[in-house]
Amino acid sequence: MRRVAVIGVGVTKFGKHDRTSAELFASAAADALADADLPASRIQALYYGNVVGSETEKQLHTSPQAASLLGLPAIPTTRFETACASSHAAFRHAVMEIASGTSDVVMVGGAERVLNVPTPDSTEYFAYASDASWEQTLGLTFPGVFALVARAHMHKHGTTEAQMAAVAVKNHKHGVLNPKAQFQKEITLETVLKSPLVADPLKLYDCCPFTDGGAALVLASEEVARKARRPIWVLASAAASDWMLISDKRDLSRVPATERAAAAAYRQAGKRPEDVDVVELHDCFTIAEIVATEGLGLFEPGTGGLAAEKGWTSLGGKVPVNPSGGLKAKGHPIGATGAAQICEIVTQLRGEAGPRQVEGARTGLTHTLGGNTATVLVSLFGRD
Amino acid sequence: MTESPSLGDFFAQARAGQLIGIKCGSCGALAIPPRQLCPECGQRKWSQIPLSGDGVIASFTVIRIAPRGHTGESPYAIAAVRLAEGISLLGRVVDIPFERLAVGLKVRFRPLVVQEQTAIGFGPV
Repeated sequence: MRRVAVIGVGVTKFGKHDRTSAELFASAAADALADADLPASRIQALYYGNVVGSETEKQLHTSPQAASLLGLPAIPTTRFETACASSHAAFRHAVMEIASGTSDVVMVGGAERVLNVPTPDSTEYFAYASDASWEQTLGLTFPGVFALVARAHMHKHGTTEAQMAAVAVKNHKHGVLNPKAQFQKEITLETVLKSPLVADPLKLYDCCPFTDGGAALVLASEEVARKARRPIWVLASAAASDWMLISDKRDLSRVPATERAAAAAYRQAGKRPEDVDVVELHDCFTIAEIVATEGLGLFEPGTGGLAAEKGWTSLGGKVPVNPSGGLKAKGHPIGATGAAQICEIVTQLRGEAGPRQVEGARTGLTHTLGGNTATVLVSLFGRD
Repeated sequence: MTESPSLGDFFAQARAGQLIGIKCGSCGALAIPPRQLCPECGQRKWSQIPLSGDGVIASFTVIRIAPRGHTGESPYAIAAVRLAEGISLLGRVVDIPFERLAVGLKVRFRPLVVQEQTAIGFGPV
């Protein structure tokens, strides 16, 4: 298999936009091409993530639409939908297309638009990623899913609401340093703990926001990447699944799909958790970050809350997690999130992250979770 | 029987007050239908068994911000319940005050109809 590198990245400002998701993607993709210093004619395929386009924009067939708006109407395109992990799944398949020798240069990206509909509607559309017969009928929401995880983690490990709140405080602090973040404002523990309940024990500030945005990456074979200014190598890209139904998961305090995908990624890359210098992971809720840091092997099971509380995951800490601000502060345009996380890790490994730079970062990890913890992707990156 | 009951079979019986499970004729593993292959041994030899409907709360939440379609019902409690037989179901918790909800609390199945659809409910023992 051939080595693959990321040679260009682009991401829109995250927040509310008056443009369609396809426009948001195309804008990020043009920036990624400029960053890669490649003509558009070199792109041989588009792998694209978009989740609720058919609900919020009444739009199917979003991948050729996205390519058309970019100005590349003839290349093969495919839309991936694995809920919030969609563009990370797209990325993994694009890596395989280049590694196999099928193509030399591939565009990966994603976009989402949800702030054009009221919150009860977006809450319902996101809930479509839970099971229609068993879970949607009950009125289960995604905050509800992670509330079940939180309660199980608190019961098993003694994790506290203040430890969860520490994740939100830390990610907002990081978000201040990211001009593309939806929220660039510090918050206090008290802000989180006194915010209204969404799904007990999760409160408003334990939850990431609804976000519009787009992100794009240019991937290239080693031969092409060697001529690029700053190639960042894909060391591994792995996916894993778990039971779809929450009720089929034996231990709600764990996310087995994260553990499986991480084990496969470390094996592919010949790396261990202690080799990782910087992490962008799926903090859709504060408890999700805690459980992910454990599942990725960065901290022992049950100590993810302590790690957040002690600042071990802050910039300057033992292993900085979500220097971009994460989904919590940077925002979570679901179809774009996996690609946007990779944009941040590439920027970090290039040493171009400015005030949020993790000094000397050589190995980075991205982790993206989809739906009821049933899909997880983990990728590892390194620089020359 | 070798085939798993369908989703429709499960909810028809649940609506009538009876929870059903399936037991693998090869290794004895239990599951909630429908399922084609036994995840433990890969065989396709299911037989239907009745479930008692008794269980304990493994985790729970109270939904305050509901999706469109359920906004008039909020706040409402949802729990993951470990049944006496060792398999689990997610359900609405009814007739138990929110402040009494706890991991380990004993509950009993009762059928619910939420917006004309059969749904799993749990109430006090």
